Amino acid sequence: MLKICVVVLVLVAASLGQLSNKKSPQPPAKAPQPATSNGTVALRGGKLLTITHGVIENGVVVIQNGKIAAVGAAGSTAIPGGAKVIDVTGMTVYPGLIDSETHLGLTEISADRSTNDTLENSDEIMPHMHVSDAFHAETALIPVARVNGITNAIVAPAIGDTLPGQDSFIQLSGRSANEMLMVRDIALPLNFTGVQRRNESFERAKFPQTRMGMAAQLRQAFLDAQDYEQKMADYEKKKASGSDKPGNPPKKDLKLEALLPYLHAQKPVVLAAEEPNDVETALDLAREFHLKVILNHVTHAASLLDKIAATGFPVIVGPIYEQPKESERYDAVFSLPAKMAQHGIKIAFASYEAHQVRNLPYAAGYAVGFGLPYDEALKAITINPAQMWGVDQQLGSLDVGKMANIVVANGDPLDVKTDVKHVFIAGEEIPLVNKQTELRDRYWQ
Amino acid sequence: MVRHSRVCWVMLCFLLCAFASAQLLAQPPQPSAASQNPASSEQSAPGTGTTTVHNDVVIRGGTLLTVTHGRIENGSIYIHDGKIAAIGKTVQAPSNATVIDATGKWVMPGIIDSHSHIALDDDVNEATSPVTPHMMMKDAFNYNDKEIYRALAGGVTTSLLLHGSANMIGGQAIVIKHKYGLGRDELFFPGAPQSIKFASGENPKRVYGGRNQVPSTRMGNFEVMRQAFTEAREYMRDWDEYNAKVKKGDKEARVPKKDLKLEALADVLRGKLLVQIHCYRADEFLTEMAIAKEFGYKIRAFHHAVEAYKVADQMAANGVAIATWPDWWGFKYEAWDGIPWNAVISMHKGVRVAIKSDSGDVTRRLNQEAGKIIHYGNVSEEDALKMITLNPAWIIGVDDRVGSLDVGKDADISIWNSYPLSSGALADQVLIDGDVYFDRSLPGLGLTHYKEAQ
Repeated sequence: MLKICVVVLVLVAASLGQLSNKKSPQPPAKAPQPATSNGTVALRGGKLLTITHGVIENGVVVIQNGKIAAVGAAGSTAIPGGAKVIDVTGMTVYPGLIDSETHLGLTEISADRSTNDTLENSDEIMPHMHVSDAFHAETALIPVARVNGITNAIVAPAIGDTLPGQDSFIQLSGRSANEMLMVRDIALPLNFTGVQRRNESFERAKFPQTRMGMAAQLRQAFLDAQDYEQKMADYEKKKASGSDKPGNPPKKDLKLEALLPYLHAQKPVVLAAEEPNDVETALDLAREFHLKVILNHVTHAASLLDKIAATGFPVIVGPIYEQPKESERYDAVFSLPAKMAQHGIKIAFASYEAHQVRNLPYAAGYAVGFGLPYDEALKAITINPAQMWGVDQQLGSLDVGKMANIVVANGDPLDVKTDVKHVFIAGEEIPLVNKQTELRDRYWQ
Repeated sequence: MVRHSRVCWVMLCFLLCAFASAQLLAQPPQPSAASQNPASSEQSAPGTGTTTVHNDVVIRGGTLLTVTHGRIENGSIYIHDGKIAAIGKTVQAPSNATVIDATGKWVMPGIIDSHSHIALDDDVNEATSPVTPHMMMKDAFNYNDKEIYRALAGGVTTSLLLHGSANMIGGQAIVIKHKYGLGRDELFFPGAPQSIKFASGENPKRVYGGRNQVPSTRMGNFEVMRQAFTEAREYMRDWDEYNAKVKKGDKEARVPKKDLKLEALADVLRGKLLVQIHCYRADEFLTEMAIAKEFGYKIRAFHHAVEAYKVADQMAANGVAIATWPDWWGFKYEAWDGIPWNAVISMHKGVRVAIKSDSGDVTRRLNQEAGKIIHYGNVSEEDALKMITLNPAWIIGVDDRVGSLDVGKDADISIWNSYPLSSGALADQVLIDGDVYFDRSLPGLGLTHYKEAQ
């Protein structure tokens, strides 16, 4: 009986999710209508936070064919004839926000296992898992996130494995997973925070039980991948040389093959560590295998900021709401982004969330309270992550030619009181509705 | 009541004509020995008096967010013996009062968290039986826990420390003031009523169902409660009969056995305890209110209460408050219909709403959380502020003592470097009973009463 109930609830939840994800209140079978007949939209009169070239008071942004066609002061920026003009006087206009770590599309109800695809927990080394294979485009969580102006995000597996699988970079709008998965397998998380050590008990007696074991296991995996690549290359060479006895090709190994682009530094490894000793070990590993690195968390490693700055690696910092150590001042972690900025480290923020991705800008706002310059905070959820994830040609600022992922709000984007009024993704205005607004409208009478 | 007394003071002052030009809102109710020598004005240099009066403090120059009577720009507060003695554009205070300059800052009551589990280590659930009303939080309270300090640094001055939700009836809570650095008993809120924590829904049924015990369903949950109160009624009847016999002079009357558990439940039925119920779903609010009616006790507040907006009118009719989050949802089935408009819809339907943390993290930034209600509900500043001050004070039963900047209330006050209902506001100083306990400008932890390794 319980099982049946659960199944029914899951179905109801799934259908709710689908309902709320409809892109338009128009008849469901139809494709969403473009904003106007020629698809051109002009946002006129707002305060533009361009990110890359300052603030323009009373500006104009023209959106055409899904891209930004013009950005400038109202007086000097022409609005094409036939454009749908939206008066945003008194509003703030800024690029869509980018969340550098979420679990969107991998979970619906955290406590219900049947709705969770966040971690393949059977082994520590699982680089051949692809979140794109689990990503649920119709999740009810995405429309909730985007009404606060989050338009793009990294989807990452949970932190429980050393190598839990490969991240994807998503657009928070689209009719299918294919449309929303902008970059599949964009990066490989490498977690070294202690929680991956889950075989601690002597009774279980399964390798690895210690950080030493985890590091050794990881090194061996990288070495195995290098060896695998060598064997593959040898075979190909033999075959190419016309040898009549090239033998059988080496057995395909998806796990080892998944590591190769990262061992060639073609894609970034997202190196997660919190404590100074773990950060040091993780940096050793990165050096040994010449990895391209984005550091992650670094929550308690303020003592290493000089060293981190010297590596030139960017950092996803936080969550800054992590508690400080018992002996530390209350703001030891709150002030970490400010200290990193002082050291010249490029930072990005992440919600590390699924249900609360919408709160991403408030973490940036809190860091401003603790000394992070405002412009740096804004960059840390726009252009910095765009650069870190290699999508800065398309996203992260109000610049001509970029994808029109644009947010209009009634105030400071980093403030909790601010209400988002318009969201455009790839030039299309997204109705600000979701499961929660539907419930609000049903009961708020 | 508060308003009335303020008006009286204004009239009295006006009649005395002593300070006709001052827009005086209040006067110190009981001038102390030292301040009988008149009190020139707050502008006088502090410390010139021969006797130092403990705890004569003036906060001046800030924007006062009173919670009950709007903003006072560039206002002052006079604190005497730990209480707010006067508040207004200017106030009369002894010349030797300690002056806290709040020019350019924001001054509001200390934040009150009506749902917290800090400073209890892991002793929040005696999860060995679904009914444990005799578990006393006081016995587990770790008053040295730094979580008390970190909440204080976020402007929190009072918290209700509750049991967890493993049991249908978990135990009796404590109310603390965040006087970090003092001894255990000095942290207890003197005279605060005793609260008891109930739960419902997924947690009890998961804990006991997982052991193949009752309750494993919501049916079991509520039946366990009814059984407990039925037993408590019989226990009360035995004692009532015994007491009646004794009163009649019956020397043969046999004393019934004292039972801690039933005694605690009887205290619920006698109306001696404030009933705080962890509850998520609309149907369960209704069942809880029906059971309360059946057994004749009152529910003070539903906690979490993410579906309150669905039956808010019925809650309002029963005078039940809610303590909720602004935006948590989806972490389990019973939180699936959580919406960030819960607070505002419930408020408009007449429910007293508090925003609480339920978290050692969020308790450090409840000011931000209240700001979210302005975002989602477009509520007034005063209504948003009430959700983290006066309304939680009511839930705890101390709203006559704290929760607003009013004459006669405890001087539990937080001073902020910018508008507190925003993302990046920081508490600069936090006072409890007129004494500074946290000062951000100090080196180290910023604490005034704490010594390391004490």
